[in-house]
Amino acid sequence: MSSSFPASQHWSATLSAPRPRPRPNSPRPSLKCHISASRDSDSSNHALFKTLSKTLAFSSAAALLLNSSPFPLLLSNGSGNFGGCSGNGLGGGGSGGGGGGGWFGGDGNGGFFSRLFSPADAIADESPSQEWDSHGLPANIVVQLNKLSGFKKYKISEILFFDRRKWKTVGTEDSFFEMVSLRPGATYTKAQLQKELETLATCGMFEKVDMEGKTNPDGTIGVTISFTESTWQSADRFRCINVGLMQQSKPIEMDADMTDKEKLEYFRSQEEDYMRRIQRARVCLLPMPVHMEIMQMLKEQGKVSARLLQKIRDRVQKWYQDEGYACAQVVNFGNLNTKEVVCEVVEGDITQLVIQFQDKLGHVVEGNTDVAVVERELPKQLRPGYIFNIEAGKQALRNINSLALFSNIEVNPRPDEKNEGGIIVEIKLKELEQKTAEVSTEWSIVPGRGGRPTLASLQPGGTVTFEHRNLQGLNRSLIGSVTTSNFFNPQDDLAFKLEYVHPYLDGVYNPSNRTLRVSCFNSRKLSPVFTGGPGVDEVPPIWVDRAGVKANITENFTRQSKFTYGLVMEEITTRDESSHICANGQRVLPSGGISSDGPPTTLSGTGIDRMAFLQANITRDNTKFVNGAIVGDRNVFQVDQGLGIGSNFPFFNRHQLTVTRFIQLMSVEEGAGKAPPPVLVLHSHYGGCVGDLPSYDAFTLGGPYSVRGYNMGELGAARNILELAAELRIPIKGTHVYAFAEHGNDLGSSKNVKGNPTEVYRRMGHGSSYGVGLKLGLVRAEYAVDHNSGTGALFFRFGERF
Amino acid sequence: MASQVREWAGINTFAPATQTKLLELLGKLKQENVNTLTILVMGKGGVGKSSTVNSITGERVVTISPFQSEGPRPVMVSRSRAGFTLNIIDTPGLIEGGYINDLALDIIKRFLLNKTIDVLLYVDRLDAYRVDNLDKLVAKAITDTFGKRIWDKAVIALSHAQFSPPDGLPYDEFFSKRSEALLKVIRSGARLKKDEASAIPVVLVENSGRCNKNENDEKVLPDGTAWIPKLVGTITQVTLNGSESIHVDQKLIEGPNPNQTGKLWIPLIFALQYLLVIKPIRGFIKKDVANESRPSWETHESD
Repeated sequence: MSSSFPASQHWSATLSAPRPRPRPNSPRPSLKCHISASRDSDSSNHALFKTLSKTLAFSSAAALLLNSSPFPLLLSNGSGNFGGCSGNGLGGGGSGGGGGGGWFGGDGNGGFFSRLFSPADAIADESPSQEWDSHGLPANIVVQLNKLSGFKKYKISEILFFDRRKWKTVGTEDSFFEMVSLRPGATYTKAQLQKELETLATCGMFEKVDMEGKTNPDGTIGVTISFTESTWQSADRFRCINVGLMQQSKPIEMDADMTDKEKLEYFRSQEEDYMRRIQRARVCLLPMPVHMEIMQMLKEQGKVSARLLQKIRDRVQKWYQDEGYACAQVVNFGNLNTKEVVCEVVEGDITQLVIQFQDKLGHVVEGNTDVAVVERELPKQLRPGYIFNIEAGKQALRNINSLALFSNIEVNPRPDEKNEGGIIVEIKLKELEQKTAEVSTEWSIVPGRGGRPTLASLQPGGTVTFEHRNLQGLNRSLIGSVTTSNFFNPQDDLAFKLEYVHPYLDGVYNPSNRTLRVSCFNSRKLSPVFTGGPGVDEVPPIWVDRAGVKANITENFTRQSKFTYGLVMEEITTRDESSHICANGQRVLPSGGISSDGPPTTLSGTGIDRMAFLQANITRDNTKFVNGAIVGDRNVFQVDQGLGIGSNFPFFNRHQLTVTRFIQLMSVEEGAGKAPPPVLVLHSHYGGCVGDLPSYDAFTLGGPYSVRGYNMGELGAARNILELAAELRIPIKGTHVYAFAEHGNDLGSSKNVKGNPTEVYRRMGHGSSYGVGLKLGLVRAEYAVDHNSGTGALFFRFGERF
Repeated sequence: MASQVREWAGINTFAPATQTKLLELLGKLKQENVNTLTILVMGKGGVGKSSTVNSITGERVVTISPFQSEGPRPVMVSRSRAGFTLNIIDTPGLIEGGYINDLALDIIKRFLLNKTIDVLLYVDRLDAYRVDNLDKLVAKAITDTFGKRIWDKAVIALSHAQFSPPDGLPYDEFFSKRSEALLKVIRSGARLKKDEASAIPVVLVENSGRCNKNENDEKVLPDGTAWIPKLVGTITQVTLNGSESIHVDQKLIEGPNPNQTGKLWIPLIFALQYLLVIKPIRGFIKKDVANESRPSWETHESD
């Protein structure tokens, strides 16, 4: 499955649409910053890519598709910027273009620069010819821009900036440098250069800006841009307002013939307009600390300069970017030349939420899925009225993905053409096939008579699976599978499962999240009850076959905490090695013979039990990952309540409580690549049963999930057990080592299991172990010492103990 | 069954003095209306259980297998004399490879079904210097099988009585030390009270054919007492000591059914589990939900 989350490339066009309206003569000049979208969208895209590729790594997707833009035209020139105030790539670069190659259509390197100087790129694209004309002038003379020929393509050898105020040339590191889209080495016509100059002059950053060329002997020209930075009266207050969804004020063109009085009138009305605008505007999300920080900047600076405003803009936008408000843009600084600087931000108000279904070809179709199923997965922060946040989008993506109903999910913010500064959140979904069926087969050769394989010993086996998902568009599903190793003789080892899942039991609009599951199942397991203790030769194994029906309701409280309750009806059959039903365990006599008068395997004494019981399980799990180490609490309580229905009227209460605490021993800084903290794990498990207890339901001690260092059931099988464990995990080089100690005890209750299998198979009934281990990916390598015998052994285990 | 009971011919092999004493004791039992006496002989392997049975009956009724564990089956020897029936049940050793042979125990239990045990003759050797965990296990196994009350009917027989204690220890002192130690371990294995254990009589037995005899041709112990009459006397005493004989029925063999214990409480347990476990955990979950740290974008309130 591929999911994409294109960020703000195309809409930035609209966002930057408020074109600069320089008011050079206004008493309150306002600076329209045309924040180039390129940098922001770029970096956010980039960051997004990284995070997405992480979060979506679990999806079976081949590739992460990012549809960069619905405007292929823009895509084609590899630029996310559109004119604006000559699209001054104000937002400094440094978003690390590498690696993102191919993203914007262009190749990585070029893409990076082209985004920085996107308009230049656009211009360059208009004259893609590599040829250029010599200036045809004597070398080393200074030429005014208007003296250049309109028909020639000039090659620019270098670009110099000259700050008239400081009377010196500024380097490329100066923030103004970003505003110029010219590139050394490229060719430009006179018109292009003039346009560049014009955009620089109108962007409001400069009081005065000039461009002149210096001829080089090789026919190229060096360009010097000399400028005087705009400055305004010093200010000590700062205000940030959200001007999204507001009509942009349309200044009345000032008539050159206005009288002074008319001019005054004009300015006053403009001023009033602006005050009204500020009042109408909504409060920004920008928090107080950032306000204070900017106020400090203003205070330190004295005069408000264009560079300072750039800095402020960068700071404000950085906050928005950091918080995930990817659509937020500083569009204007108003109220300059007063005590208060007003920063106008279009934050990206969501005006609409659209959920669309697409077919395989990307056409919009009417989906089978009920829209409410998708809607309930969306965080409310994606609803109209909220500010678009990329994290909320990612959350939505994850939530929808966890429904497992769609092959492709896109969460797409799109500019709202009808509402300036508004964002329409588009969710595009491609549905998975509703019905699937799968057959996998395998042939196995079993030794025939005399150990030689014959034609008849070739057995066809395999699995037949069918799935009917998303029934009625409400995510209900029916899944069935049948597995056998021999289709000719399936009764031997037929494993089947049929499950119906019915989510949103209380209605799809009800916030409570209860799911009904009904399943038919069977299983075959080796009983750990019939296992020998140390020094006991092989105990003949007992297989426990279960087949039955289960119906339960799961109530999800959080992603991890849930409450499940339901009814189980099952038939339990106990079989010996040769698959014959047996009523008693076997034991090996001292003489070497086998007697089949061991502990009874079933309650009924026939080898077949049928019973119905209620099962409830409540899991509280607030564990979370701190740099990859699991920290938190997990408590599980499970009770099986017999109803007295079945063979011998089984009436019992079988319960177990597990309490696990993962204690973080050191506070660490959270973040990718940071070291996880050392963790102490404390674990206890109590199991008990009152009433009828057949051997297959007895609690066994020993094994990788009970007391490590022993075999499954090696310590005993009892009516009540208590297991205690402690493990200390020390992070080391991206993984961790651990030391543990565990104890399991039957609390003297082994004799309360009919036939006392613990004693019959000569088990201790209790035991401890300790050891050390190393986590290697999914595998644990551990050396565990069995305290009963005092010997140690090395184990390799899959998965986690706790 | 009674028809199959053979006449106790072996009694004639005893010395006349012994015979007289035995008949005297039997008469005493008959006086008390005891017509049958069932003796259960138990103990570890190789301590002389079968020999003791042979000695008491005066016949070679049980094969003795000194070097291997006895046949896995118990044997009952029944002899009648003058309307009085003596049943002696010889059992296989209870220890097998350092563990209680629960198979043997099981067979013994089933063998004893519907029989009444009047006396438990627990046999061990006198010439063992120390007691160990195995003795305790045997005592425990016997108690677990027949209940604590069996020890009211117990007689401890120490075989190989014709033995000289080491280091010149006086015979009496060794005997009392040995029986004291054995009683102590039985007490702990059977979880008896101190006075219950000390009430168990200990007698000495010497099954060897080279056993010393006195002038009346009776087999005697190093201290000069004739042991067969003494043993039978003690058995008679215990029989008549007022405690109930142990009747072995199905219930005793299977022990209390653990599946029935506490069954009545289940509805209450279930209710308490709901109130005291499930509800608090739900409370914890609610608390977790409330305390969950949310990303900042979720907490920023939009206007």
